[in-house]
Amino acid sequence: MDKLASLLHMTPAIFWMVVKVVIVFSAVMLLASVWTWVERRGSAMIQDRIGPNRAAIFGKIRIIGLAQLLADGIKFFFKEDLVPEEANKGLFWLAPFLAFVPALIGFAVIPFGKDFTSGGVTYHLSVLDPGNGMGLLYPLAIGGMAVYGVLLAAWSSNNKWSILGGMRASAAMVSYEIGMSLAVVSIFMTTGGYDPAEVIKAQGHLPWAWNIVHQPFGFIVFFTCMFAETNRLPFDFAEGESEIVAGFNTEYGSMKFSLLALAEYSHLMTASALVATLYFGGWQVPFVQNPAVMLSVASFLLKMLFFAWVFVWIRWTLPRFRYDQLMHLGWKVMLPLSMANLVFHAWRMSQGH
Amino acid sequence: MFITFALITLLGALGMLLQKNVIVAGLCLVATFFGVAGLFLLLANPVAAALQIIVYTGAIMVLVLFVIMMLNSHEEEKAQASHPIQRWVSVALVAALAMGAVKLVLASPGLKALAASGDAVPQAMTLQKVGLTLFADHLLGFEVAGLLLLTAMVGAVALTKRNL
Repeated sequence: MDKLASLLHMTPAIFWMVVKVVIVFSAVMLLASVWTWVERRGSAMIQDRIGPNRAAIFGKIRIIGLAQLLADGIKFFFKEDLVPEEANKGLFWLAPFLAFVPALIGFAVIPFGKDFTSGGVTYHLSVLDPGNGMGLLYPLAIGGMAVYGVLLAAWSSNNKWSILGGMRASAAMVSYEIGMSLAVVSIFMTTGGYDPAEVIKAQGHLPWAWNIVHQPFGFIVFFTCMFAETNRLPFDFAEGESEIVAGFNTEYGSMKFSLLALAEYSHLMTASALVATLYFGGWQVPFVQNPAVMLSVASFLLKMLFFAWVFVWIRWTLPRFRYDQLMHLGWKVMLPLSMANLVFHAWRMSQGH
Repeated sequence: MFITFALITLLGALGMLLQKNVIVAGLCLVATFFGVAGLFLLLANPVAAALQIIVYTGAIMVLVLFVIMMLNSHEEEKAQASHPIQRWVSVALVAALAMGAVKLVLASPGLKALAASGDAVPQAMTLQKVGLTLFADHLLGFEVAGLLLLTAMVGAVALTKRNL
């Protein structure tokens, strides 16, 4: 690795950083685009259909329809890029980026594998090294930024349905953030640290020592709030075919729509990675005390993709909530539940000392 | 780095003042908040930076934009008659305020810490330290602030809810 770095006239540290950034972000983007296909195949499976399996490269190589991604990409690129007449043009352009960037960079702090030492230098498998001081506050902060993409996309389209959809979505996101944060805070408390690396280390390699066993209610709150945060189906108020068309992205087409869709799936990936890190031991391999690096990465990916699949699974299983039901659930069930969880763990810790 | 973040902060603030469209002005304010968060990072206080983004951009600004979008006017209204005297008075007031702020900063003991080197350099802030400071050194202030917020919340509910 040092040789390669010197060939590129970079110090090994910077080279490693560049490699990490490229790998992590391209992997998240790739997985997000693959998930648009998984979603369609999964929905087809659940609804007893076949789903997209026809697209093929050069009409020959079919790979169970995975070429659909390429076809979609090409189609989106060559579609006409329409901007509504009365829209605020600048913000209309900016909004998809404001949605996409936070969804992607939220991943930066999550360790996706065990750190390893090579040539006396320890390499950490996360874009931001542990001990950066931001820790898990960072994904919370970045997650809060995701609201702007939705809000601006809605407002700049200058369309009543868009604004209604954007308002509903952003209200849901803001109100679920509180319950989510409190659930995370109780993990900070029991861990005694707020760095994802510490959280993972504290959970250890035994599945019954993971946070899911200690804080099942925290997990329920966090996972539910993640659905509201990512605007996924039981809570996807941004849309509503029968009332407000496609909500905040009604006016979007071609590549801009594609960016908004990719933003949703990148957000989903980040959310599943967070769930895996906080409650399922991150890269820890069950019953393996000191796993090999590749094994730990595989374990993390497996956990993350499982939760990403659960997101898809639930979307096609549960119907959409009504708006007041969502607010009722958020403020009167989830928030008290996560507060009770916090107080209970505080009490337990005070008894333990 | 400092220049970059300072420029983001200042340009955001200027844009917010000069922009006629209220939503765009709000976004300029968001840029300012990000600039300030970057400045906090440079001061080895990542916790303050994260909290700045969570609280100000993630919650307060979203709610402000929300309210602006609910009201259906997105352009600033023109004043019926211009009062140049108002402008001059406000400029003088802001200048006085800025002078006072600069004086306070230059007189603060934190300035000496900037000259420190080696082991004397203060460690970066962590969430643990913030918690300890809040609950050990500033407990009274913390509790009073909490009480104040609770009162405000109860007041807001009492004002908006018709039948309690």
